[in-house]
Amino acid sequence: MDLQYMIGILPEFLSVIPVTLLIVVVSAVAGFLLSIFVAAVRIKKVPVLNFMTDLYISFTRSIPILLQLFLFFFGIPVFLQMLGFNVSNISAVTAAIVCLIIYNGAYMSEVIRPAYMAIEKGQHEAADSLGYNGLQKFTRIILPQMTPIALPGLGNALIHLIHDSSLVFAIGVVDIMGLATIISSGSFGMQQVEVFLTVAFVYWGISFASEQLIRYLERRKRRVLRRTGYDMTREAGYNV
Amino acid sequence: MLSLRNLKLSFDGSQVLDDINLDVKKGEVVTLIGPSGTGKTSLLRCINLLERPDSGFISLGGLDYDYSRISKKEALNLRRKTAMVFQQYNLFKNKTAIENVMDAQMVVQKKSRKEAYEKSMQELKRVGLEAKVDAYPSQLSGGQQQRVSIARALAVEPEVILFDEPTSALDPELVGEVLKSIEEVAKSGMTIMLVTHEMSFARDISDKIVFMDKGRIAESGTPEEIFSQSTNTRTQQFLNKFYTAVH
Repeated sequence: MDLQYMIGILPEFLSVIPVTLLIVVVSAVAGFLLSIFVAAVRIKKVPVLNFMTDLYISFTRSIPILLQLFLFFFGIPVFLQMLGFNVSNISAVTAAIVCLIIYNGAYMSEVIRPAYMAIEKGQHEAADSLGYNGLQKFTRIILPQMTPIALPGLGNALIHLIHDSSLVFAIGVVDIMGLATIISSGSFGMQQVEVFLTVAFVYWGISFASEQLIRYLERRKRRVLRRTGYDMTREAGYNV
Repeated sequence: MLSLRNLKLSFDGSQVLDDINLDVKKGEVVTLIGPSGTGKTSLLRCINLLERPDSGFISLGGLDYDYSRISKKEALNLRRKTAMVFQQYNLFKNKTAIENVMDAQMVVQKKSRKEAYEKSMQELKRVGLEAKVDAYPSQLSGGQQQRVSIARALAVEPEVILFDEPTSALDPELVGEVLKSIEEVAKSGMTIMLVTHEMSFARDISDKIVFMDKGRIAESGTPEEIFSQSTNTRTQQFLNKFYTAVH
């Protein structure tokens, strides 16, 4: 075990962290927005769209993420050509981000939808009976009660996303994992353990940081839950 | 002040309300009684459109609408002229007692926070809960929650308050405090429509009793007329069953 070597290659890994972060942050934010749309379609049972989102969720859940990455990387240019755009290839980072947005949108929508469904009908009716319009009801009454229920699931989704993003090296993105494969082949397979152990520590660090963020949000969540008297286990079917 | 004409409501092909005609005068307390499943609650819920009637007409506080083609905006207008007190209280769980009372005033009626606060304190005092203003619903007993919900209904100054079995979900020892608050509301001159199984309360508080059976209004009149002089066999059967249950 060559600690010296590990410390030596660490800065290289730190320099590609922004690539991983870019992929994770963009996929998380855009995926979250997409998931709100998907959840809304499924909650409101919008004709046609509802059927399409069912199909979409079933697809993304059933197909391994690695395979999806390849499909998007090779498929997006073909798709764009079919639409008449003259695109022969797209960057691996773009394909990775698009793929993870789509994947994450499906995943998170299945966190948001049950959180919405967990709010009792009576809360809706009380707001309706007082003449709140849809937006007022949602922002003042429903959303504040949904948030603490959805948070743990969204936190899990984020951790999953960070882990899934380590697969994008397979389509040629030089992220942390991509760099690791480059370095390890550059050293003729002599220091595999050191290289991948270093990578493990880097991911540990990133996950640890994001867990702190989620913990902070959950501390706030507990305060809200205590006030509302909401019993997670009983009413949402799960707990953190 | 409130009148319903030819109101019809059906669920999945079965007729829940059939040709309801009803008039409520300003300041009147009208109580709906009758066996379970005869559409008393549904009738209240048609007035604020929590249920959507198939057809019929409503006029309320200067608004006249045809139920069969009522728009979203018209539905909001109707709801803003009414308030409802629910069997299960339905206080907003994420808000304190006073916030529950204030919110609709600020959000729907666009009152200032200060104005809404003062009005809310006044209404919470009226139901005897000025000491609990900062409690969340989960920290209140059923009776207290229901009283907050009465204050919430009063605070928006509706044309009519719809009480939907306000004491049915309460422990027996908590029923009294809620009935007392409802009585207060009635005395203040508020127009009330009430669905209840508390017969002696209905008798004492109401100006008019409506006996419903199988989705229709079987009989209506003063408490005296319904409770003591009714010649309608269904009414008598119902009331007899009730009296034997009590005594």
